[in-house]
Amino acid sequence: MTRTAKAAAAALVVGLLASACSQGSATRSAESTPGGKVTLRYLTFSAAPDHVKDLDKIVTAFEAENKNIDVVVETAPYDEYFTKLQTSIAGGTAPDTFELNYENFVTYAAAGSLLDLGTVAGDADPSVYAAESLAAFKHDGKQYALPASFSTVVLFYNKELFKKAGVPEPTADWTWKDEQAAAERLTDRKAKVYGDYQPVQFFEFYKTLKQAGGEFLSADGKKSAFNGPAGIKAAKWLVGKVGKVMPTEAEIGGTADYDTNLFKSGKLAMWHNGIWQFAGLKDVPFEWDVVVEPGDATKASAVFHNAVAASAGTKHGKEAFAWARFLSSSGTAATTRIESSWELPPVADRSVLAGYLKAPKPANRQAVFDSLTSIALPPVIKRQQEMQDTVTEELANAAAGRKTVEEALTAAAAAVDKLLG
Amino acid sequence: MGKVVRYALVVLGALVMLFPFAWAVITSVTPDGAVLATPPDLTPDDPTLDAYGRLLEAMPFWRIVLNSAWIGAASTILQLVTGAMAAYAFARLPFPGRGVLFAVYLTTLMVPMQVLVVPLFIEMRMFNLVDTYFALLAPSIASAFGVFLLRQAVAQVPKEFDEAAVLDGAGHLRIFVSVILPLIRPALATFAIFGFMASWNSYLWPLIIIRSPEFRTIPLGLAELHGQFTTEWNVVMAGSVVSVVPILILYVFAQRHVIASVAQSGLK
Amino acid sequence: MTAVKTKAGPKAGATAGPKAQGRRRLRYAGTVALFLLPSAIPLTLFTLVPMAASLWTSLHEWNLIQPMTWVGLGNYAELLGDAETRAAFWHTLYFIAGYLPLVYAGGLGLAVLLNRAMKGRDLFRAIYFLPVITSWVVVALMWKWLLNPATGLVNQALSLIGVAGPGWWTDPVWAMPSVILASAWKDLGFVMIILLAGLQAIPKEYHEAARVDGAGGLRRFRYVTLPLLSPSTFFVIVISLINGFQVFDQVHVMTGGGPAGATQVVVEQIYDLTFRYGRAGMASALSWLLFAVVLIVTVVQVRAQRRWVNYG
Repeated sequence: MTRTAKAAAAALVVGLLASACSQGSATRSAESTPGGKVTLRYLTFSAAPDHVKDLDKIVTAFEAENKNIDVVVETAPYDEYFTKLQTSIAGGTAPDTFELNYENFVTYAAAGSLLDLGTVAGDADPSVYAAESLAAFKHDGKQYALPASFSTVVLFYNKELFKKAGVPEPTADWTWKDEQAAAERLTDRKAKVYGDYQPVQFFEFYKTLKQAGGEFLSADGKKSAFNGPAGIKAAKWLVGKVGKVMPTEAEIGGTADYDTNLFKSGKLAMWHNGIWQFAGLKDVPFEWDVVVEPGDATKASAVFHNAVAASAGTKHGKEAFAWARFLSSSGTAATTRIESSWELPPVADRSVLAGYLKAPKPANRQAVFDSLTSIALPPVIKRQQEMQDTVTEELANAAAGRKTVEEALTAAAAAVDKLLG
Repeated sequence: MGKVVRYALVVLGALVMLFPFAWAVITSVTPDGAVLATPPDLTPDDPTLDAYGRLLEAMPFWRIVLNSAWIGAASTILQLVTGAMAAYAFARLPFPGRGVLFAVYLTTLMVPMQVLVVPLFIEMRMFNLVDTYFALLAPSIASAFGVFLLRQAVAQVPKEFDEAAVLDGAGHLRIFVSVILPLIRPALATFAIFGFMASWNSYLWPLIIIRSPEFRTIPLGLAELHGQFTTEWNVVMAGSVVSVVPILILYVFAQRHVIASVAQSGLK
Repeated sequence: MTAVKTKAGPKAGATAGPKAQGRRRLRYAGTVALFLLPSAIPLTLFTLVPMAASLWTSLHEWNLIQPMTWVGLGNYAELLGDAETRAAFWHTLYFIAGYLPLVYAGGLGLAVLLNRAMKGRDLFRAIYFLPVITSWVVVALMWKWLLNPATGLVNQALSLIGVAGPGWWTDPVWAMPSVILASAWKDLGFVMIILLAGLQAIPKEYHEAARVDGAGGLRRFRYVTLPLLSPSTFFVIVISLINGFQVFDQVHVMTGGGPAGATQVVVEQIYDLTFRYGRAGMASALSWLLFAVVLIVTVVQVRAQRRWVNYG
């Protein structure tokens, strides 16, 4: 034992010294190397696990054009992305550039964590971006991030189930009523086939609220406005599906990816989900397509935006901007995203997107662009996450029958007002 | 209790325990389309090792396993050495304030890691240690859990054993090394397993302190398989199966060669 | 490692003067330091210092991405009057009250069963240990499926005997029992292995002596095994309580605190406050409230151990 202990101790000391000296490439080559080469860190959540190679392609193309810049990619899973980002900002080691989604953008812009890109943009032409996408990442009149990708939510449907039930396939003109009628006819409890699936949560609610003609926040953004007739109608529309044309919370039982699997196994006729699902549905053994979501008083489609921002503390503002711009608007980035079905580039030139329409499945890819004509952006406040969690929880209470829709919305409105206050 | 009843009980319980692992193995060989079907398919039609292949393709998995293995081994050895020594002091070396100091050790277990990671990160930043192997190891050089477990074991050793050694003129270090350590081998082996497991499964700290892909550990690698919207569960399960195997081997080894040998020899 | 040799036995210095006594004392202090410093230094640097920092943080409002602002005891005042905090503590106590008896009784039973000679014993021990080393992500997926109210194996089995199974995860009343069940199942092997190590450290002679005295199996268990196992039992209970108060992983991956907040435990609340809601100061304050509770519980146990824990 003595000898083993001694050997172990010796090995440890050596190991510790060795490891203390070995650092990762990101810090080893710290700021800039003698050759004047700049190392730029980029933290992202949207690349892993499926698109790491696609991002590599964009990085390689960028580095070929900018020989003095070395981009180091760091990835974190979405669930813990903000944990990691916040801690590195708290420790004063924020990555030079990082990804932000639209909902979280305001929190960081308002906190002063982001570099005003206007100060480093030079004479870069802003007209390459779709105007509304660019505007989404302005705060107090300053451009704090560049839109890098977007995706929309559409209505997926299983053509074979429609055929079997003798129900005409959905069209762009459908309203909630059409959807409901079809869903009821398509639901076959005995065969465990469901007509419809729309998650009961914050993101679906703000969108259906808009479809019903309501607003989530008051015009000045200081109070909630969803606890009215339109809000009640929207919440009832979502909650009313549960247990009738859609499985109940108990049937789902917290199963991971329940709806995805239900649709993939051919037992779900209509499915409200995002275009990020396209790649995963490539090989399903039945015909399916998509259509713009049915509206009520009006049409409204949810759009999710991701953007690239630079840290307020970066020492390489110009390089950070060059990378952000390349990642968000270059031809390489756009075609790479389109070819790999990795969301869409928010470019003004729609011809760049032509390739997207040519991909085989689903046939009606045009619906993705049609959905952009009337978009609903999520309401954004400083205490965003708490608002989302509260609204989702109250809607779940209504869906499970623990509260009436009216009670749930009143409670949610009170909580949101408190968060705004 | 009859022998048959006892055996039946143990076997039945074992089946219940084995089930999730078997389920993970089954899911890992299920082809993409059929993963997580409801109700689940416990006998997939055409099992495939695809998921394991994709696991190796998606990331340098062996490199990641190697990282986890050596960090786990290093932190286990460190904790065993520091823990056993402290345990000896707390059980055998009376000094003023010993009780209070032991209480201070225990208090380090009472604040959740979730609230310590941010200050610890800032501290590492001040030492310029962010993104290093040392920073990964730092919080697990010493473990109060280990000190506590081993102190209980040292305290259980009858004092007559040390007194005999003292009469032979042995000092504390020799008593510790040649009398106490061999006698607490079951506890050391037990703690080795827990120490290794804690490091092997630790997630939040590595997530925050590590940037470079070459330092990734298994939990970080597995977490990367969870996308924002979709997860490839068969690959996740394949990764989980692979990650359980080394600890299982360690456990069986410790069980066979350390815990059992002591039991059979009746401690003497 | 054997370079420093100290002789602090009763013989040395028994007849020496005060000078030698002082030197001996110094040497003894050196010995104590030698044994303690390897653990004391890292624990101080990497746990106690961050703990002190979090105490400082708890007096501030801080969202991690902006400089902190001083609020004094404001966070504590807000927490003490907060219904959600009280609920989080109740949920945590509920968890412990269900989990601890289950896991201790189960683990002890297993340890005793698997301590006796039987065919395939090593294999069984390894199997019972499997859940301990399987990650919570996998375990949670599996239990969610087993306890699925509609299609899960458990409710299907219950319906065979004519019982309508509850909603488990999806029902606020049953969510915590579900978490407790899954946790106890996973940790049985942990308790088993610690108690096994304790059982094996009991010299066989004691059992034989009791047997010679005519004590039966149950009596031997009651009067030999249990008292001699008490240090291990004490350890298991103290550690399970400390871990129980900090229950997080399983809740985080299984229910995320839901449904309707029914499983929102203290550390889940701390995590949400720090990393989701940008209230790191509040989270630190909450963790110090938790600390106070755990400390009191542990001190009571350490005090009480003198009455029932039997050191060799």
